[in-house]
Amino acid sequence: MRFKTLALVAALFAAASAPAQTKAPLKAEVIHWWTSGGESAAVKTLADAYRAAGGEWQDTAIALGEQARSVAINRIVGGKAPTAAQFNTTKQFYDIVDQGLLNNVDEVAIRDGWDKFLPEVVLNVIRIKGHYYAAPVNIHMPAWAWTSKAAFRRAGIKDDPKTMDELFAALDKLKAAGLVPLAHGGQGWQDNTVFTFVLSNVGGRDLYLKVFKDRDPAAIKSDAFKNVLLTFKRLHNYVDKGSPGRNWNDATAMIITGRAGIQIMGDWAKGEFSLAKQEAGKDYGCIAGFGPKSLYVIQGDVMVFPRSNDPKVVAAQKLLAKVITDPVTQVAFNEKKGSVPIRTDVDASKMDMCAQMGLAILKDKSRQIGNGESYIAPDQNGALQDVISNYWNRDIPVEKVQRDVLAALRD
Amino acid sequence: MKALLRRVTPWTALLPLAITVLVGYFGAALWSLFISMTSSRTFPSTNFVGLEQYERLFDNERWQLALHNLAIYGLLFIVACMVIGFLLAVFIDQKVRGEGLLRVAFLYPYAMSFVATGLVWQWVLNPDSGLQNAMQHLGWKDFTFDWIIDQDMAIYTIVIASVWQASGLVMALMLAGLRSIDEEIWKAARLDGVPVWRVYLSIVLPMLGATLATVFVLLSTAVVKAFDVVIAMTQGGPGTASDLPAKFIMDHLFGRANLGLASAGAMVLLLTVLIIVAPLLYARSRRKEART
Amino acid sequence: MKRRSHFTPARIGVYGFLLFAAAFFLAPLYVMLTTSFKSMDEIRLGQIFALPQAFSLNAWRAAWSEACTGVSCEGVSGGFWNSVIIVVPSTILPILIGALNGYCLSFWRPRGANLLFAILMLGAFIPIQVMIYPLVKLEAALGLYSSLPGIIVVHIVFSMPMMTLLFRNYYAAIPLELFKAARIDGGGFWRIFVQLMLPMSVPIAIVATIMQVTGVWNDYILGLVFAGRENLPMTVQLNNVINTTTGERLYNVNMAATILTSAVPLMVYLISGRWFVRGITAGAVKG
Repeated sequence: MRFKTLALVAALFAAASAPAQTKAPLKAEVIHWWTSGGESAAVKTLADAYRAAGGEWQDTAIALGEQARSVAINRIVGGKAPTAAQFNTTKQFYDIVDQGLLNNVDEVAIRDGWDKFLPEVVLNVIRIKGHYYAAPVNIHMPAWAWTSKAAFRRAGIKDDPKTMDELFAALDKLKAAGLVPLAHGGQGWQDNTVFTFVLSNVGGRDLYLKVFKDRDPAAIKSDAFKNVLLTFKRLHNYVDKGSPGRNWNDATAMIITGRAGIQIMGDWAKGEFSLAKQEAGKDYGCIAGFGPKSLYVIQGDVMVFPRSNDPKVVAAQKLLAKVITDPVTQVAFNEKKGSVPIRTDVDASKMDMCAQMGLAILKDKSRQIGNGESYIAPDQNGALQDVISNYWNRDIPVEKVQRDVLAALRD
Repeated sequence: MKALLRRVTPWTALLPLAITVLVGYFGAALWSLFISMTSSRTFPSTNFVGLEQYERLFDNERWQLALHNLAIYGLLFIVACMVIGFLLAVFIDQKVRGEGLLRVAFLYPYAMSFVATGLVWQWVLNPDSGLQNAMQHLGWKDFTFDWIIDQDMAIYTIVIASVWQASGLVMALMLAGLRSIDEEIWKAARLDGVPVWRVYLSIVLPMLGATLATVFVLLSTAVVKAFDVVIAMTQGGPGTASDLPAKFIMDHLFGRANLGLASAGAMVLLLTVLIIVAPLLYARSRRKEART
Repeated sequence: MKRRSHFTPARIGVYGFLLFAAAFFLAPLYVMLTTSFKSMDEIRLGQIFALPQAFSLNAWRAAWSEACTGVSCEGVSGGFWNSVIIVVPSTILPILIGALNGYCLSFWRPRGANLLFAILMLGAFIPIQVMIYPLVKLEAALGLYSSLPGIIVVHIVFSMPMMTLLFRNYYAAIPLELFKAARIDGGGFWRIFVQLMLPMSVPIAIVATIMQVTGVWNDYILGLVFAGRENLPMTVQLNNVINTTTGERLYNVNMAATILTSAVPLMVYLISGRWFVRGITAGAVKG
């Protein structure tokens, strides 16, 4: 009798302590365009986090967003789609959704409660007809203003400007001191960045939304918008002759070496400052906007998940979505990337001064606003960029520019 | 049986050509034509809109400027490359020492990726960092060379960089042509007392007809397809001043997700080429028939 | 061969022109080299013509084995063999096919071949990106997409216009009598091609090799789209090192990487010199 019980107990014991079936790691091929040194460190945090969660990260990095996205689309069309592909918080992937070529990650979004912590701008982009088609990765802000402490000292400017008028005053002082007041790289998208800065700080939230979100003709033809355009053009008086075509890094280099005073550029500029071993607050200043209610322009990266019915692929996609939006991964990634996390309920104590500033602003819902591209189609954004860039470089009557903007944003 | 085989063999040898042309090029061109009449965005769609894309195209100021730039760029690039390439080939052919090294000095630009070399040209031509700055430092205070930031002159800087890149290849082609001309020609000309430069102009140049034709077509295709030089140097700027049609098409194909408009642009470009090149090709083929 | 005296004004003129031209052509290389030997701090000062203050080979080492191209930071060396595996067949096959096409078009001229050739040449004017979508769908249907055979086929397709043109025009300059004589001697289609035409085509084949090796080695977009993840060529790594939208730019590494990547075509140019000699066809015509 006893022997039988002993045997049973032994069998049960053996069964209980038998090793669980080791699951094969979930392979995920990810297409992205994070190729520079700083970006590589950032994407490594995602790869490490994914690996720690039991996955296997297959990296397919392709420089330049436009290139990477078109390869992703071609791979989807050709039947060899990756597990995930990087896009932006824009309408770039809407056509792919329309064709039914993306998987959604509703399960993860609902379970993890994305509606609760994602900024509305981001939610409106990734949530299409009630389904969640992308996992947000980070939030960049393209319209920061960076100041060179050394240049400011030489020009006799004590503090960073706090209003648009103070900005112009500072620019005048820099000019008088023989420095380049506004460091600028004259490429189309950079001209557009300066325009966004002016529209956001001079035009204000209502005008911004009316122009980009509603594409309201009355708003575009209004005097307020005219004023924005004129202020934008006024800034052109403060750039140096060699600005057209210049890479943004070369403009930041002018700030770093103290040759120029101010640059309007996104928060990724911090990468160049770090490379030159400069510190925020000590060697350079960062201005998120003017006034207590200045807007935080949201321009983020997301991951989309090409359609597949293969259960292993779907499982990998869900795991990726979960890992990417996890608070710990968010801090690790954004710290290296120079952007801010997509959620404000994270421990930001280790992030740099400017990022902490950004995150604090982001907590205020009324200061969240999307980059132009998150409201308008890629083609409209491109046409607008052509108009703005031409206005920046040529003398065109402002009324014609207003008409051109209207034409660019039409359906 | 043997006669039949003899008739058929050339055709079987041309099978790769036939398939590539009919399925590849002809098929792709037809497909592009179809797409240019739809409202395709990122993906092809069957929403037929007739000639609407073409209307949008010709209303577009940027496209008009691009076509204008193409004419300037095309003319200057082709003429400059052919003249410089020919001169380089002729001079190198003069039994100079270090020919191998010289040849590489002129050819290496062709070997390098334009992404980096275009940036170097941008730096060199930029008044702030490049030649103008250097010359002024050396003492020529009034020296200006700021074409690249000038709305009207920017396209000429694209010409400079492109000629730098392609002349070496033209030189190589011309050299191959020159080297296949009989040595006797020079001997005979010298006996007749004809000066060297006359030999080249009146005797050699006509004999290089086939090479010149090859070079001309090569350069023309490069002109029509030129876009990475624009991206590397000026990004189409300042504003859209140095835009070229191929870059316009590329922008709309990828970044702006407008397949319809991009295809319309490609079709217009093709039509322009057809109108210019077809008579030339026809004339040449007639002369070829006369050869028999 | 009479030896010419080396210091005639004409001689000096020749060398003068060549050296002046060489200076113009080499100027960008000078900037690239000096930039590659400088530190980023020095580059930031923006003096592109200045010699490096502190000469360093760090950028070169980084470009080859340390530069970041994504998650991995192993420089451009990774794609080297992939590029070789793509370049060799993508040079040999198009040249053979081009020579065959040129031979056929120039001497045999079957009916309708000229029309095909005309369409082919017109096709050379279509920007290749416009043709990518239909080719992707075609290759996917044939099961070739995203593979080594897939990229080789694509290279054959896109190089056919230029290769065919090169050989066709080269053969057009060869006297028809030669061909007719060979046919009278009893030569068939393939015999004439292999035993007569190919040996005579050495100079143009060298030029074709230069063009094709350069074109395929430096090709980026076709390799990226058609070669498949395992076969990505060196240009993909190169572009990942150089290009970025919002990342930092290490210009010294970029320059070094570009020069390293162009080493193979440059080597081809140097070696090809042996065959740029005179008198190949001259001998054939006489004999």
